[in-house]
Amino acid sequence: MKKAPAPALKCNGCILLAVTLLLYGAAALFAPDTTLAAAEESLGILMKILPILLVVFFLTALLNTFLKPKSIAKHLGEGSRLHGWFIALFGGILSHGPGYVWYPMLADLRSQGARDGLIVAFFYARAIKLPWLPVMISYFGIGFTLVLSFYILLGAWLQGLIAERMLRVKS
Amino acid sequence: MKENSRAKEAFSKALRSLATMTPMLLAVIGLVGLFQAFVSPEMLRTLFSGTPLLDTFIGTVIGGISIGQPVISYIIGGELLGEGISLYAVTAFILAWVTLGIIQLPLEASLFGKRFTVIRNLLSFVFAMLIGFATALTLQGLS
Repeated sequence: MKKAPAPALKCNGCILLAVTLLLYGAAALFAPDTTLAAAEESLGILMKILPILLVVFFLTALLNTFLKPKSIAKHLGEGSRLHGWFIALFGGILSHGPGYVWYPMLADLRSQGARDGLIVAFFYARAIKLPWLPVMISYFGIGFTLVLSFYILLGAWLQGLIAERMLRVKS
Repeated sequence: MKENSRAKEAFSKALRSLATMTPMLLAVIGLVGLFQAFVSPEMLRTLFSGTPLLDTFIGTVIGGISIGQPVISYIIGGELLGEGISLYAVTAFILAWVTLGIIQLPLEASLFGKRFTVIRNLLSFVFAMLIGFATALTLQGLS
């Protein structure tokens, strides 16, 4: 029996990476010092997100190992009710670092049956940044911070509901 | 034994997914660095008009394009408030800063699909403005 050919390697981001490198090249011609500062800034960001990326990597693998598709469907799938929203909103608030770090784990959960609405709600609930709340309070006051946080959670839930409807209608 | 092979498969799947997104991730991080080095808070401040409704829209657009630590948006937002920009616009700006991301759109679309990405970001855009107004009006009502 013939072995199936290995799937071709995809490089979705290679074009964007090439464009970014070209931008750096062009910027370096006109403003070498600022471009160097930009590269240092990027390196700093990379160093900062590497630990979070590692945590997400292990979380993804652990979820895949211990969480069976059946239980994903139960907690985050079509059958999930109030506790699904609670997990999404609470998870969003607790998730740390930039949003794109969480993309692979969320895409993986989605491919295993997690509801679109819950993913959307997770993304929006991330607008509540626990570590930065004291800074927000010092700039805008406790009243603003509480009211905004309440509306963010409400908005996250509503967006989840609307997105789910829109995505369902089109599909 | 079964659990062992399941774990192995799960780790290799997670590693593959991480490897696939690495070029895109590096590109996004590179663009974030360029943005932060070349676009100053002063440049962002000059883009506001002084009209609350239009400023709320402008705040959402600028917040959506901007990137960086959320704390930077608080600092710029605080300065904007000090310069007389409305709380509607500043709230929408802060919200759009963390919930929208033009630079990471290609990465999001490649993992979640174009339709999901467009719908999610459009909703986030509209909600940044709505929540901006709701927050400012609620605070006015409470005071």
